[in-house]
This record gives sequence, C-alpha cells and structure tokens, in this order.
Amino acid sequence: MGLDRIKDVVKPTSLDEAISLLRERGPSAGLLGGGVSLVRYAPAHLTTLIDLSALPIDYVKEDAGCVRIGAATTLRDILDHPLLAGYLDGVIVKMLRQVASPLLRNLATIGGALVSADPWSDIITLFLALGARVAVYDGESASLPLAEIYPTRSRLGGAILTEVVLPAPLPGAAAAFCKFNRTGFDIAVLNCACQVQLQDERCVVASVVIGGTPRLATSIPEVEDILTGRPLTGETIEQAAAAARDAAGVREDRRASAEYRRQLVLVGVGRCLRQIKDDLVGRDR
Amino acid sequence: MTITLTVNGVRRDVEIAAGETLLEVLRRIGYKSVKKGCGSGDCGACAVLLDGRAVNSCLCLAAKTDGREVVTIEGLATEGNLHVLQEAFLSEGAVQCGYCTPGMLIAAADLLSHIPDPSEEEIRQAISGNLCRCTGYVKQIEAIRVAAERMRGTDDG
Repeated sequence: MGLDRIKDVVKPTSLDEAISLLRERGPSAGLLGGGVSLVRYAPAHLTTLIDLSALPIDYVKEDAGCVRIGAATTLRDILDHPLLAGYLDGVIVKMLRQVASPLLRNLATIGGALVSADPWSDIITLFLALGARVAVYDGESASLPLAEIYPTRSRLGGAILTEVVLPAPLPGAAAAFCKFNRTGFDIAVLNCACQVQLQDERCVVASVVIGGTPRLATSIPEVEDILTGRPLTGETIEQAAAAARDAAGVREDRRASAEYRRQLVLVGVGRCLRQIKDDLVGRDR
Repeated sequence: MTITLTVNGVRRDVEIAAGETLLEVLRRIGYKSVKKGCGSGDCGACAVLLDGRAVNSCLCLAAKTDGREVVTIEGLATEGNLHVLQEAFLSEGAVQCGYCTPGMLIAAADLLSHIPDPSEEEIRQAISGNLCRCTGYVKQIEAIRVAAERMRGTDDG
C-alpha cells in the first residue's frame, strides 16, 4: 500500500509555510486534508504529507450574502452550520445528507471533495449548478470558477485550494438536487442539480448539471436555453427534461447501462425542476 | 514519529509510523474493541470518537490525531458500570455476533451527545455508516431509542 512509503507528515501553520514545503519537497509531497481519499488511494510516489489541519481554513462565514467555506471544513461542520440551513431553502444540507455516511462526513473536508474531482461527486454537481467559485493560493490568492478547475482534474499544480465561495442567492431563485443510487450510501449512478431564477414569472437564469454519467459532471446548455425566457410551467418542465435526456452524454459502466442513465436524466431533471417550482410557489404564499 | 494521544481519558505518547492509520495504532496499543472490517470506510466497525465525533479510524491517519482525544467503547463504561447505550443494547437484544457492535455504539454515542431525543429517521441516519450482517437493524434502532429515553430520564432526575 502507498501509505508504507510515507516517511514524514508535516503540519504547517501558515499558507506560506505550506507552499514553501510543497515547493521544497517537490512531487514527492502531497497535501493531506481529511485523508479519506488519500488513505485509500495514496499515489506510490508520495513520501511526505503536508497536513492542512493547522491552517486557518476551517470556517463557514457570510460575506455580503456569499457563503465562504474554508477548504479544511468537514462536511459535518457544513451540514450543521445555520448559514447553510438558510441558503436556498437548505439545498446544500439536503444534498450533504445523501453524501457517504456520518462517519465519513466527520472526516472528509470540502476541499478534499472538490480536488478529488470524482465524476460521481454529489457536491460538485450541485456546486457547479450554484456557480460556486474557489480560492487557490500559491503565494498569491486567486479566485476561479469551480467549473474552470474541475474538468482539468489537476492537482492545481503546486497551489492549495483554500476556500469555496457560494454566491449570494439571486432574488427569486431556487435550486434542487437529485441523486440516484443503488443503496443508501453508495455513490451516485447518476445525479442532477438545477438552479432557476424567475423574474416576472419567467426564467432568466437556468443551470442544469448532470453528474455520474459516469463521466465528469457537466452542464447541459441545450436545456438552459429552452428554459430561459419561459415561465416554469408543467409543460416547460416536461420539455426541458426530455431535452436533457436527449442531450446528456451518458455511457454505461458496471453501475448502469447508458439507456438506464438516459432515463434517469429525464426523471432527475424533471424532479429538480418540479421541486424548484414548488419551492418558488411556496415562497410566494 | 511520536504523537500524544488522549485515549479514554488517559494521555499517552505513542510511537507511530508516518503512514499508519489510527485503527492500526489503537489496536497495536491494546484497544481491541476497534475492529478492522473493510478498511475502506464502508462498514463502520472501526468507528471511534475523535474529539467527540464518530469517525472511521481506518481512514484517519494517526499522524493527524496528535494532541487530540479518542474514545473507544472501552472508555464508554465508567468504574465497571456499562454505559446506558451498552445496557440498552443488551436489554433490547441488539447484539448478535458482536463484530459491528463497538462501531455501532460509538456512532450512537455521537448521535445522543448532539441530539438527546432523536427521531427514528435520525437514528437510522446516524448508524447508516455501520453495517450489520446479522440483523435487520431493528433491535439496534430500538436500543438507541431506549438508551436516549433512559439518558433523558437520568438528566431530568
């Protein structure tokens, strides 16, 4: 196992110290967040681990309507945080309850979940639909859309992901997430997240993201185009879901056939959009 | 490398290999209630409380636990008296082969320390990372409910 080759675990207390360690030790050094991914799949070339747990990147806070989450924050701490309960009707809380098990959520960090870039990740599918941004640090801090770093699946080339930022909820917007899995805590056969903003009862912003296809999660612009400018009626939802089914790039793997996944796209997008419609109608009452 | 670990209230310095997991270290120093099942975070047999929260010790590097507090079920009992949860597992018949029991008790201890009056759904959620291949979970869920009731009774009194 890769872990036998680990000779050293160092715990820097500042981001600059972490970056210089990373540069000093070169490719033999890896970053250690919660460790749940690393312990299972430690790359054989790693001999030094840089433990991020002493860095000041464990927090959930509000900033001008945005929610900023430090990369070393555990999924449990996010799940329990009151700021997330109030964010878009608690859509993140509802999603996180379906991620792994409580035991794993007590260890796994949000930064680890994002840099692991797993194609089945429920977190990434929803965060893409919400337009999340990430902050990375390599001596200087930069802010990038999650959608920009995710498809490359890079280890950020010597930088450290320090924060994920959820944008301030748009007025009149709602979001929903839907996951299909074989057992309660299996990874997704397919997952789906949508966000819609209504203005004067018409969709002005729509994002539809499908993950676990089994390739990397991706948005479906064809569906977003169908939704934009139209009222969110039952008919629109049916058309959008059918368009998603036709446009989604699904494949087969050992979890499901391509045909089954295609059907799940139809059902998933339909459920998410109906949920959003219900949430928005509920808010008006 | 050496880490300082508080296990069941006792502070100790432990020599570890850099890549060792908390599960391996705990078993090596004598806490045999902590079971190795899958080694990949699926079964929950290795669960311990780390700073009060139930975690899979098989996926936790020991090096990360320096200065932190671990509780195994050896530490749930006090002065020879079983913990209310342990008593309830016995009285409700929630133990069959026993392999999953330590992890299940740890997950339940985490739950009850944060939610003293959990719903059945919350109990099911809390032990969803603990696999039991003997039972259908009915007795464990009942035992955790009974333990919660008894603990609240004690607090009220």
